[in-house]
Amino acid sequence: MKDNKFIFYLLAPTFFFIICFYIYPTIYNFYNSFTDLNLFRLREGGSWVGFKNYIDLFFDPEFKRVLFNTTIWLTIVGVFVRIVLGILLAFLINSNTLKKYKLTNLFQLSLMIPWATPSIVAVVVWRMILDPQVGVINQFLLEWGILTESIAFLADTSYVWPSIITIITWNTLPLVTLTFLASLKSVPTDLLDAASVDGANKLQRAWHIILPHMMPSIIIMVLMSTFWTFNNFVFVWLATGAGPGTYTNVMATEVYLRAFIDGKMGYSSALGIVMASIMTVFGIIYLRLIIKRNLREIF
Amino acid sequence: MKLLFKLFSLVTVLSISISGLLHAEIEISFRFNDAGQKEMRAAIDEFEKKNPGIKVDLQRIAWGSAREQFLREAAVGEGPDVVHIAQVWTRSMGDAGALYDLNKLIDKHGAGNGWGDFISGDLASQDDGTIHAIPWTVDTFAMVYRKDILEKAGIKEFPTTWDGLFKASKQIKEKTGAAGWGIPSGSGPTNSIWFFLNFYWWSNGWSLVDRNSDGSYYVNITPDQIAEGIDYYKSYLDSGINPKSMLNVTNWGAQELIEGMVRGDIAIISTPENVMVQIESAWKARYPQKSNPFGSAIHPKKSVTFVGGRQLGINANTEHPEASYKLIKYLINEPVYSKYYAGMWPAQKTLIKQLPQVASHVGYKKQLILARSWGSYSTGPIPIPTMWNWVGRGAGSVFIGEKTSQEVAKEIYNNIKNELE
Repeated sequence: MKDNKFIFYLLAPTFFFIICFYIYPTIYNFYNSFTDLNLFRLREGGSWVGFKNYIDLFFDPEFKRVLFNTTIWLTIVGVFVRIVLGILLAFLINSNTLKKYKLTNLFQLSLMIPWATPSIVAVVVWRMILDPQVGVINQFLLEWGILTESIAFLADTSYVWPSIITIITWNTLPLVTLTFLASLKSVPTDLLDAASVDGANKLQRAWHIILPHMMPSIIIMVLMSTFWTFNNFVFVWLATGAGPGTYTNVMATEVYLRAFIDGKMGYSSALGIVMASIMTVFGIIYLRLIIKRNLREIF
Repeated sequence: MKLLFKLFSLVTVLSISISGLLHAEIEISFRFNDAGQKEMRAAIDEFEKKNPGIKVDLQRIAWGSAREQFLREAAVGEGPDVVHIAQVWTRSMGDAGALYDLNKLIDKHGAGNGWGDFISGDLASQDDGTIHAIPWTVDTFAMVYRKDILEKAGIKEFPTTWDGLFKASKQIKEKTGAAGWGIPSGSGPTNSIWFFLNFYWWSNGWSLVDRNSDGSYYVNITPDQIAEGIDYYKSYLDSGINPKSMLNVTNWGAQELIEGMVRGDIAIISTPENVMVQIESAWKARYPQKSNPFGSAIHPKKSVTFVGGRQLGINANTEHPEASYKLIKYLINEPVYSKYYAGMWPAQKTLIKQLPQVASHVGYKKQLILARSWGSYSTGPIPIPTMWNWVGRGAGSVFIGEKTSQEVAKEIYNNIKNELE
């Protein structure tokens, strides 16, 4: 009994913070999503409008685009590029060629630079790099005669999404790579040696031994990257402001635009709830995987 | 002896407390959003010298985030004591309960040469007479151009019609290689295209929001007329007169425009006077021996522009309204305008008359005479930033070929009509 009390006191601060900073805001936001709360009339509060915000949202053509941009471009393409490049880089850093020339540490160190760069700084730097007038990429392409007119990478619809994905990948790739590298280093060498003795070539060893061994960390990184990317506001907002037009508008920027530009806090709350619901699905998958993995480790 | 010691201790503690109270400093914060932080800090230093009991913490935020940030802070009892706001924000911020009611402070301490002397006083107050801000500066957009490039292109006088401006821009592009009118065509929430479209519409007598004599509001423009304006600016991008890179530029005072004008990559821009001051300073710093090649003119078709401006408000949550108002009173007087805040016209008629006029800036004076207040846009039920965002995003979608001007025009028209109803 005494132990239970002690445990309760130990956990109480955590529960207090969870209730104050997670549960209460979520419930409050959920309530707001059924009201017409307006930024410009905050003190008056909102009136109950039932499911109106949700109905408006699902019939809004902009919502379809926002959902498409968030799911396909930002999340699927963004996460895919990061995972594939992460695996390839991990293989490269772990390769005998780099070890031979003693470049492994240099590669690992250089990976830290983007990781240590705050997202805001990363976007500002990349905006300068991609700038049509003073950006190094345009200057290089113009000087080499590859282009006759500079490209506005962050305003041209053909280049804007690849540019955003490049910025996100640059800033977030190191963590993915280092995670995969750690997993790669833990592959049992006797297994690889046995496969070599059996006549497996490099590709076969990578496909049949290394990748299956790395699979748990790949799945976890896919899920974690999905969380970070799906909710992300900073990269898109700072890079393009959701433009040109609303071409790069995503869920997080739409929540901001509706709440703080249009002033429709109720509608924006409904959007936030939809966003949270989608993320909950990923959360459940993640938790199931973690629980499964933990159970397997225990038993 | 014990009693004497107690008395001595009491007297010491009391005297320390009283002297502390007497010398206590009030610290207020002032969030100033324009460039020229150094100059403003110097102005504040002078204020602090004149008012030894008040310390001012000078803060800065980008204009693009200023409104939302302040509203968020004020809603939870936070934020700076004195806030620098665009004049079109005051009414909605006041409605939101974010700004202090200044009527009593004005009655007690006065304001400038009387309330009637202020320009845009209507935008600083509510319909019931509650004053929520003090007009600080006014400005408007005028056309700024490179005289030498226009001459090189064979253009002797600045065009006076929209078609004329397009033809002149084309001529400049063909004969000199420079962009004609460099129009920032980005579509963020504080885009510039919103202003240029309104100038075009107003010059034709159209308006997104107008007010009937009975006080009700209506849309005074058709979807076709909205589309005409968008198509006009799109033609600059389509013909290459305005480079595609301008789709990346949102702000009317962006570095791309300033640098473009100084380098001669752009021949014409439309911008407020403080940006022209920055362009001229950059020119002078780079080419100290050369004469100033810049001129200013009014917009085509004697287009009406808006009287823009900044106001100073006090946070509704402030603990120091008197000190905050003291700072505002200092800022709305000379020598702040001539010494520390150059390139800005005071929002007071008597002060405007006193300030000298630079020859190259003559277009601004002419344009200010033609300028109108945001009027029904500001007093109407739709917040200007919301319309600003609709128009900017819509135009952006047309510029990149994602939607037609007709589609966007209908969307803008319906959005405004629905909100007014």
